[in-house]
Amino acid sequence: MANDDLALMAHLMRRAGFGATREELEERLAKGYEATVEELLRPEDHEPVDIYEFLRYYQFQWKPGTAGGQGQTGWVWRMVNTEAPLQEKMCLFWHQIFATGVSKVDHYDEITDMIDLFREKGLGKYRDLLVDVSRNPAMLFWLDNHENHATAINENWGRELLELFTMGVGNYTEEDVYECSRAFTGWTMTPKLPRFHMGRWDWYFEFKEDDHDHGEKNFLGHKGDFDGEDIIDIVLAHSATARFIARHLYSFFVADEVQVPAWQVTPPRDPEAVEVIANALTESDFDMSHVLRVLFNSDFFKEARFAKVKNPTEVVVGTVRMVGGVELPGPEIFDWANHITYMGQELLNPPSVEGWHSGMEWVNSGTLMKRANFVSDMVGDLKRPGVRNIVEWVKGECTSPESVVRACLELLGEVEVKDETMSELVSHAEIEGDLAWDEANEADSARRVSEMLQLIVATREYQFA
Amino acid sequence: MLTRIVGDRVYDFSHVVGGRNEVMGPVSLAPGFDGDMFAVITRIDRTCDVARFKVGNMAGEEEVISRMGERGESPGQFMWPSGIALDGESNVYVTDAWTDRVSVFSRDGDFLRMFGESGSGEGRFRRPSGIVMDGDGNLLVVDTHNHRVQKLATDGRYISEWGIRGSAEGEFNSPWGITTDTDGFIYVADHKNHRIQKFDADGGFALALGSHGSGDYEFDHPSDVAVDPEGDIYVCDWANHRVQAYDSEGNYLTTFIGDAQELSKWQLEYVRSNPDVYKARRRVYSLEPEWRFALPTAVAFDAMHSRLMVADTQRWRIQIYNKLLDYSDPQFNI
Repeated sequence: MANDDLALMAHLMRRAGFGATREELEERLAKGYEATVEELLRPEDHEPVDIYEFLRYYQFQWKPGTAGGQGQTGWVWRMVNTEAPLQEKMCLFWHQIFATGVSKVDHYDEITDMIDLFREKGLGKYRDLLVDVSRNPAMLFWLDNHENHATAINENWGRELLELFTMGVGNYTEEDVYECSRAFTGWTMTPKLPRFHMGRWDWYFEFKEDDHDHGEKNFLGHKGDFDGEDIIDIVLAHSATARFIARHLYSFFVADEVQVPAWQVTPPRDPEAVEVIANALTESDFDMSHVLRVLFNSDFFKEARFAKVKNPTEVVVGTVRMVGGVELPGPEIFDWANHITYMGQELLNPPSVEGWHSGMEWVNSGTLMKRANFVSDMVGDLKRPGVRNIVEWVKGECTSPESVVRACLELLGEVEVKDETMSELVSHAEIEGDLAWDEANEADSARRVSEMLQLIVATREYQFA
Repeated sequence: MLTRIVGDRVYDFSHVVGGRNEVMGPVSLAPGFDGDMFAVITRIDRTCDVARFKVGNMAGEEEVISRMGERGESPGQFMWPSGIALDGESNVYVTDAWTDRVSVFSRDGDFLRMFGESGSGEGRFRRPSGIVMDGDGNLLVVDTHNHRVQKLATDGRYISEWGIRGSAEGEFNSPWGITTDTDGFIYVADHKNHRIQKFDADGGFALALGSHGSGDYEFDHPSDVAVDPEGDIYVCDWANHRVQAYDSEGNYLTTFIGDAQELSKWQLEYVRSNPDVYKARRRVYSLEPEWRFALPTAVAFDAMHSRLMVADTQRWRIQIYNKLLDYSDPQFNI
């Protein structure tokens, strides 16, 4: 069954989405690789997820409280049901960079509003997004800009804008941080209603003219009465910003990099690829759709299969989309959100302003068990339509143990395993001999297929995307 | 505007019943027969039950009388309680959109029986929601994802049904709330068709009201409907955060957006016991956002007291409007 085109499409869908079923892969293959990239870049061509279907049964997710698991549920529902997976993947990408957490903000809805912003503008011009993030109340509170006054500068937002959101450490001075922060004085939020006696309220950006420092700033060699937008224009014109965002894109979509704090001392894994992405950013005025088009159609992307450890969201959402049967909300959505947390990625609550450490740091003895157990439980459930579909595919083609193993690997998304792993899987399949698909044996063979799926998802190789 | 005059009708905002522990997340209402009110309550922590409480005629008179049911899938429990209705003996019927059944309690909260299971056959449900007793003492249950209304005896025995998935007259798309009027007509909130449909007692189509939007004669995912003794229709326009009123012919009357300028007894207790909350409320530019509905889920008309009750779900309260039948204007020059 396997062919390289199908495997390449599976690779694209793992990275630009959350994986795809065999049926979806074949549909996309019929359209072609480049056409699929274009479709992924046009989320507006698809019906958005009906959030009211979700809210009808999860009323409290409209303005959720701050207990663990509550705020993420709506986003997980969207990711599971979206027809525009790259749009949600970009939400994850920007959430990793603009890592704003409920541990401090204490208001899931404000962070969810930021995710909505990523959904709306995440594939557009980075400047537009950055300006809106600078005015986002959750970010203002997260990085203390509501306490950044003309007469009392708070450098938190200004520092992270330069260190984590644009240029990276080593490209600016402490004086630049101070001058940058002066430009954002007066960017605050309106006094907010207290939350407890009748639920939560929206927060709103407010520019306080009388709290803004109108003096001349000296920033990165430029002088003037800059405000926040001027600062953003200056840093986006700096070559370090394109390289910094390019490395983020490479690490998220192509291959795992070292963690961000090490970037100033560790060169990129593939400097030429990062340069290609950086050039695409510069030449397009930071148009993310243009950049992703270049990235997904590049050889370095196509050759980077299984070069990333799946993040917990990819594990859970990808699995749920694969096994299916989730067209209507059920009580389990809350649990899916919590499983992502148990695997080390509490959405809307990253561990720090740096976001999550990724790559091999997703995996330890505890989270590996969580990953394997969750996916194993799901693919072992023969009531799930996606699992039944896999069994039907296998049933049509396979009886020998080796053919069943190969089919299962392919149907789980063209998974590639080492010879040693393959040998162990086949050995296990051979214990009960050939599979028979006559009426008397069909149920038992379905069980064996399901068990093989469970075995595969517990392998080292399955943890990679 | 707390008092509004609409032709020969007068609506006067009365008061609020609510509080984060007592009436958090009301999603369905049923007026009782003794000035009490039954409400399906859901909470942030996913617990749920039915509260029976005294409404009173002004803030401060509210009082919880009893509670019934709890979260779970065992008999006497529910996972996603959705609709509530009373029979002539004040027995309480509660639909559960997850377990696909109807649970029956006495007015004092004793679990009596349950019926229904998942499926699309007679007496089976896919996510039942609205429920009401018709003039013959039978139950009308909105069978949301079978896109139909089923008429059942109070023991769950199937009698009849109408509706299929679609948008033509008599068809539904994920219907939700239901009510009847004094002439025996039946009204259904046709949720994803963004309209209200009116049927005769046998399910024969009579009227469709509304289309998708946010203007007059438009709804966005309506969730419930109520009718008063004069035949006026109140539509819970869920995603527009409002309630719209129409006369019995479907002519637009007015729109309620919430007028809770004063806190309920329980809300006031909370504010007064938290100095920072008190101070924060005095610091905001306006308290007006607190007055307004937020995704109101249910409406009910308490004919005994001539008052409209709105389940202001996201604000953990019920807003109450009196429909005044003996109103006279104040002197103009006071």
